[in-house]
Amino acid sequence: MTARTAHLDQAVARALSGLSAAAKKGLGDPALAELVVIRASQLNHCAFCLDMHLGIARQHGVPERQLDLLAAWEEAGDVFDERERAALALTEAVTVLTDGFVPDEVYDRAARHFDGTALAHLIGLVVAINNWNRVMVGRRIPPGGYTP
Amino acid sequence: MSAQTTTTDTPTDTPAPTADGTARAAEHAPRLSWTERAPEVYKAMVRLDAAARRGLDPTLHELVKIRASQINHCAFCLDMHTKDALAAGESVERIVQLGAWEESRHFYTEKELAAIELTEAVTVLTDGFVPDEVYERAARHFEETELAQLIAAITVINAWNRFGVSTRMVPGHYQPGQHA
Repeated sequence: MTARTAHLDQAVARALSGLSAAAKKGLGDPALAELVVIRASQLNHCAFCLDMHLGIARQHGVPERQLDLLAAWEEAGDVFDERERAALALTEAVTVLTDGFVPDEVYDRAARHFDGTALAHLIGLVVAINNWNRVMVGRRIPPGGYTP
Repeated sequence: MSAQTTTTDTPTDTPAPTADGTARAAEHAPRLSWTERAPEVYKAMVRLDAAARRGLDPTLHELVKIRASQINHCAFCLDMHTKDALAAGESVERIVQLGAWEESRHFYTEKELAAIELTEAVTVLTDGFVPDEVYERAARHFEETELAQLIAAITVINAWNRFGVSTRMVPGHYQPGQHA
């Protein structure tokens, strides 16, 4: 598979990297950040992003068991703790906007586990990976191009 | 691009009554003032927005922003971008018909239609990929650099939509050009 176009304005790429970095730094939990980013990339079917972030997650020591069961986290018992589950539910709701809004119970559940600052950055991270997913899927960038 | 500057957690405005005096529903409050809680994230979004709009026709860009905001149900974004489009001389007719553009193609140019179609495909990723015919139609109307900017612009309005919807930003108070 080849990319439809490799073209991406450098200023756009830099700004997008800055957005991801700011969100990730403010969240302050690199392992959780990778779970969030991988889950959004699963929903958006971004092969490049999955390849890249599964690699990064392993570097951060995210357990293989979590990576294996991430797509079915709701049914995965205690593989994910309540804070991770709240973050994943919010990730899904913010990613799939076209079917409805972000439900109060999903938002409130996240707000119980994350203070306002962490929550704003968590939302920022979900937004940023959604943006990357679109940039990569839209141009059909093949997986494997990322080297940790 | 969007911004929420209020810090209020409670509705402040009494909604205006309708012409026959019937009260309207109460205005909701935003869930979170994300721009204040995450100022570096907001600054990065402003930089991203500025980078993605370069080289794009502003009229076409507003149509893209309105259509993505419709699909993502972002009330604040619709308030902002319809007002900006109208202020820039866009017609009410073209804005109204945008929600049914497939049946009102004669309101738009072929280039605009290709961009709107690509906007929908890049916005709704969870149902599938971006179809080849949609991408190729866009590629016939936009040269490579412009197409890359169009894709970037579509992704960025999607980003604003996600902030707007998840933090429940309140529509109705935007003034045209406020964040231009």
